[in-house]
Amino acid sequence: MPLCGPISPSCIYACTRFRVRRTTLLPREEYLRIMRMSIPEVVAHLGRQEYGQELADLAHDFSGAQLIEEAVHRNLAQSFRHAMTIAPGDLRTLTGEYLNRWDIANVMAVLRGTVHGIPRQQIRDLLIPAGEIDSALLDRLLGATTCDEILEGLQGWRLYPVLAEYYRICGEQGVFARIENELYRQYYAGLLELGSSGCSGCQELIGYLRFEIDITNMRNLLRLHCAAEACDIAVIDRTMIPGGRIPTGLFRKLYGIETEEEFVTAFLATDIAPVLAQAVRELRQDPNFSSFDAAELIWQRWHHRRRPVHEIEVAVTRVRLHQLEGLSRRHPFSVLPVLAYLERKRYEVANLRAIVRGKAFNLPSERIWQYIVL
Amino acid sequence: MPVDDIKPTRSGLLLVRRRMALAERIHKLLSMKLDGMMLELVKQTDRTARERRELEEKHNRAREMVAVAAMMEGATGVLLAALSVETYPTYTAGYKNVFGVQLPDFEPVMVKKTLDQRGYGILGTSSVIDDAADAYEDLLEAIITSAELEEGVKRLLDDIERTRRRVNALELKIIPELEEARRFIENQRDEMERQEWTRLRRIKKIKAKRAGRL
Repeated sequence: MPLCGPISPSCIYACTRFRVRRTTLLPREEYLRIMRMSIPEVVAHLGRQEYGQELADLAHDFSGAQLIEEAVHRNLAQSFRHAMTIAPGDLRTLTGEYLNRWDIANVMAVLRGTVHGIPRQQIRDLLIPAGEIDSALLDRLLGATTCDEILEGLQGWRLYPVLAEYYRICGEQGVFARIENELYRQYYAGLLELGSSGCSGCQELIGYLRFEIDITNMRNLLRLHCAAEACDIAVIDRTMIPGGRIPTGLFRKLYGIETEEEFVTAFLATDIAPVLAQAVRELRQDPNFSSFDAAELIWQRWHHRRRPVHEIEVAVTRVRLHQLEGLSRRHPFSVLPVLAYLERKRYEVANLRAIVRGKAFNLPSERIWQYIVL
Repeated sequence: MPVDDIKPTRSGLLLVRRRMALAERIHKLLSMKLDGMMLELVKQTDRTARERRELEEKHNRAREMVAVAAMMEGATGVLLAALSVETYPTYTAGYKNVFGVQLPDFEPVMVKKTLDQRGYGILGTSSVIDDAADAYEDLLEAIITSAELEEGVKRLLDDIERTRRRVNALELKIIPELEEARRFIENQRDEMERQEWTRLRRIKKIKAKRAGRL
């Protein structure tokens, strides 16, 4: 099904709306101002902005950082649902597919909560209905008492076949982790498949998705490698998302490498090295940080079986978003402005959450600022 | 042993001497046990203090990691990861014998877990969740170790107190009393011996006088 084939007026209109909506997101100066506020001041400040309604609705149930987190999540869900309504026909299909990741998180929360006998209201508070599965269906799912009932209620969901295939016995050891991994793999496969339908900007979208997949795979490979005991190759196969620029075979090969020279050579051959170098350059304000230095940095973490540095992960996300925005500017009437808006909105919510959570834990402002994606 | 109960006889003296030897041997053994326990206590308290410092460091690190996880994934993300736990961490309780004192020996069970055992999907989470889980697993292990050591120190202190009371009782009461009893019997027996000697001498004199008269 071609998406937004020849650029239609509705597509131009929708893309323009998304670009305009993008300008309504919080600018850098606003974050700097919020950073100087206490949590009650942040609540008051956000209450005067677009989060006012959600804050007012939730004020009797939550307070402090929890109130802000719940309110921004609710606002995010509303914004995404609104985005779905203004996206025309085929663009909506792709937006829906893209927002499926929220559905995966919600479905897994409902399944796990049901198995562990968590109170319904507590699970409800954890859900962010920002995907295709709306609040009404989520409430129906929460009313179910067994996993079979939940599965029955999800029969219309686009990822239901994966759920049905991998679901064996509810509560079986490790089954939810396997289902979750497989749902995300299928999520990316679906997006790539939809992207290959030849819409305007789809080639760039596929490029961007493949890049995101590579980064996710590399990050997860580092996580697997830093575990105390070596994992099975089958685990790597189950965990790596296919479809990236870097074939999953290379990740398997990387996992077995234990010499610096071999690792650095293999890592430099990937597209991640220059992006990582750029991210570290921006993070450390060091213009001389090269791809080779980036490979060395990863080797050091790899060799000592340590996980990626969080600040660098955030810096890579910044670079990724800048790339997406660059692409959306080059292809203004395509799916890219929609995704750029959705991603920016997602990170606006993540930034606000990071600030208030950081303040709640009394972390210094400089530390909090490192986790802000601008 | 009250002095009134003691018969100033040879068997009484032997009994007191036997008791005295036993009390001295017990005193020596208990003193040695006390010294050993004191050394063990010093070792244990050093280790406990070190573990407690580590526990505090691990607690701070765990708080920091969960703060970072809450910042990056939100409290929702952290709670969702926590919901994934399939096997709850626990410990087995045993005992080890140190100088006759039963010290606790706790063994953590399913505290340190692999990524697979934690129950959350790798693709749905990020490394901050791993770090927070690692930090809390380390903290739990440190809590179990600290609990074991602190309980051990408490039991050791109780036993040291009890042993010290016994040593003091032996040293300051039982042994001096037995010593006094032994002295009393010996004095009594000496007195009896002198009386006997005087009596015999007197009889001898009387017999000699009678023989002279005849």
